[in-house]
Amino acid sequence: MTSKVVVITGGGGVGKTTLSAALAVGAARQGLTTCVVTVDPAKRLADALGVESLGNHPREVKAAPGLWAAMLDVSASWEAMVHRHAAPDVAERLLQDPFFRALADRFPAAQAYAAGEQMAEHIESHRWDLLVVDTPPAGGGIDFYTAPGRMRELIGGRLLRWLTGASLPGRRAIYKVTARPALKLADAVLGGPLLEEIAEFLLDLRSLYDGLSHRAKAIELHLQRATSIVITTAYPTPMREARRFFEDLPPEAGRPSTVVFNKQLPEAWSAGNALRNADLTPQDRIALRENLARWSEEVRRQHDVKQQFAARHSLELLSVPWAEAAPTTVDALAALLDSAPALRAHLPNATT
Amino acid sequence: MLDRKLIFVSGKGGVGKSAVTASLALLAARRGLRVLVVGMVESIGVASHFGIDRLTYAAHRAHPGIDALAVYRDEALDEYLRLQLHVPRAAPTKVLTRALNVLAETAPGIREIVTLGKPVFEMWKGEYDLVLVDAPPLGQLFSYLRAPNTIADLVPAGPIQRQAHKMHDALVDATATSLILVTTAEELPVLETVETLDQLEVEPVITLAATVTNRVLPDLEVSARVLADLPEGPHRGAAIHHQALFDQQQRWLEALPTGLRLPYLFGLRTAGEVAERLADEWDEQI
Repeated sequence: MTSKVVVITGGGGVGKTTLSAALAVGAARQGLTTCVVTVDPAKRLADALGVESLGNHPREVKAAPGLWAAMLDVSASWEAMVHRHAAPDVAERLLQDPFFRALADRFPAAQAYAAGEQMAEHIESHRWDLLVVDTPPAGGGIDFYTAPGRMRELIGGRLLRWLTGASLPGRRAIYKVTARPALKLADAVLGGPLLEEIAEFLLDLRSLYDGLSHRAKAIELHLQRATSIVITTAYPTPMREARRFFEDLPPEAGRPSTVVFNKQLPEAWSAGNALRNADLTPQDRIALRENLARWSEEVRRQHDVKQQFAARHSLELLSVPWAEAAPTTVDALAALLDSAPALRAHLPNATT
Repeated sequence: MLDRKLIFVSGKGGVGKSAVTASLALLAARRGLRVLVVGMVESIGVASHFGIDRLTYAAHRAHPGIDALAVYRDEALDEYLRLQLHVPRAAPTKVLTRALNVLAETAPGIREIVTLGKPVFEMWKGEYDLVLVDAPPLGQLFSYLRAPNTIADLVPAGPIQRQAHKMHDALVDATATSLILVTTAEELPVLETVETLDQLEVEPVITLAATVTNRVLPDLEVSARVLADLPEGPHRGAAIHHQALFDQQQRWLEALPTGLRLPYLFGLRTAGEVAERLADEWDEQI
């Protein structure tokens, strides 16, 4: 079967993981065989789904028939990626290499890229009617979309070509002719045999290029075909991160079409403020009036920043109301989705 | 708290780290200090609080008494080679820049030390009384602060190593340099902050000046009995919402060591207003 894919993205702390789970629960209840892939070490999601420990392999959620859940294991995905694209001896050498391990730890695009390969694996398993993908928060979520291009650039880019020679990887003789004298000189100035050591590692890395470049294109295609939804809240940092999807992301990277403002306060708070029929002390009345005044200011602020956002980018803007408590059961996740019918409408129809 | 020459402000993303950095800069400027604000890994966040779109690598006036700049890697790399490593003019700079670019992509610590070098270098130059750094978020903080040690281990001798030792000494010097951690009273920010405080005990790469909890709600001052009896409507909704958030915040505040607190600012729309209001708060507290 061909999977429909919904990618949920946005910065940290905006509720991506919870909304991904809510969408997945809703889809499963509509009769779609659904898999939700989450990224954060999401103990609460795991608890809500009744799955003790998640990994790259999807597990069935007992409390929700038709729903499976997996968690992205970055280091396992990274190793799988190396084995997929490198000759066996090169893969072993790379995985042992301290520079390579450092690359996986420090280059945010590397982790985001590994997540993308994992997403592609899930899509290409053809097991699911619907795949819901929660993205890594790096770069406010945008790294997930730019990672295929950035990995290609890192491994096939001009710096590596300069070091390893412009021709096919593996032809070390060329590297020795073109770059070695320069590296020796640089090392002499900098004070250690750093570059000469790294050059050996970079040659191994470059041998990943053909496989990785091909895979990166496939990931980009999957992202273009997916429904991408950006989650934000009405705070400056997540909104700045949400704007980057429309200002910095090239359209061919699978730009999202929908923005969800999560944790919206009830608009009704900014309207009425009569305190009728209540038996209250004057102090209570003052405290309650002041409190409603504060929160209605906040409601108006949320309203205004949302309108500004809508005016700047012509997009579909949705709201999800504030949930007083984080959902900890499948039923609570379903109820959260029911409170946001416009988001619910993004689920594909069950095909029977 | 402002009596150091170099202050790094960090925190989990989204807690208001840039707002706090900007407000401390405003406070220092109000007290007559010449301040430089450095956006270390991001050029927009702190800029917005001064009504600027994007900071440049060269320092520009952001506010009376406050200059601001952002660290961009290519320019920082060039400056690092020329001014910090004192690479002689006769050296093939182009080859070295390319070589360092490769290193910055692959070897641990190089990109970090080049970026970290900028604010430290600005402190050494001494043109400002205070260099305030909008530092990388908690998740990346240690890979930067640890970089001088990483490099000193990686490179056996030479100018990179000498410079790394010098930078290490500047960071651990408690009379010159300190760290302010910003958090909110919520689960993930508090847990990450506590983890960072523990890590600082194990790896004392910098001295902590203060932990600042941002967006703390005031007490509602209405009893639970009164709340329970309120009729349905906006008053009840807003009061129950406030009380639930307040209770959660109080629980998370208990998990933090005593520190400074900044209030939740209701209804403020612009980043500039937020920074000014927080600076007013500082004025009363310190």
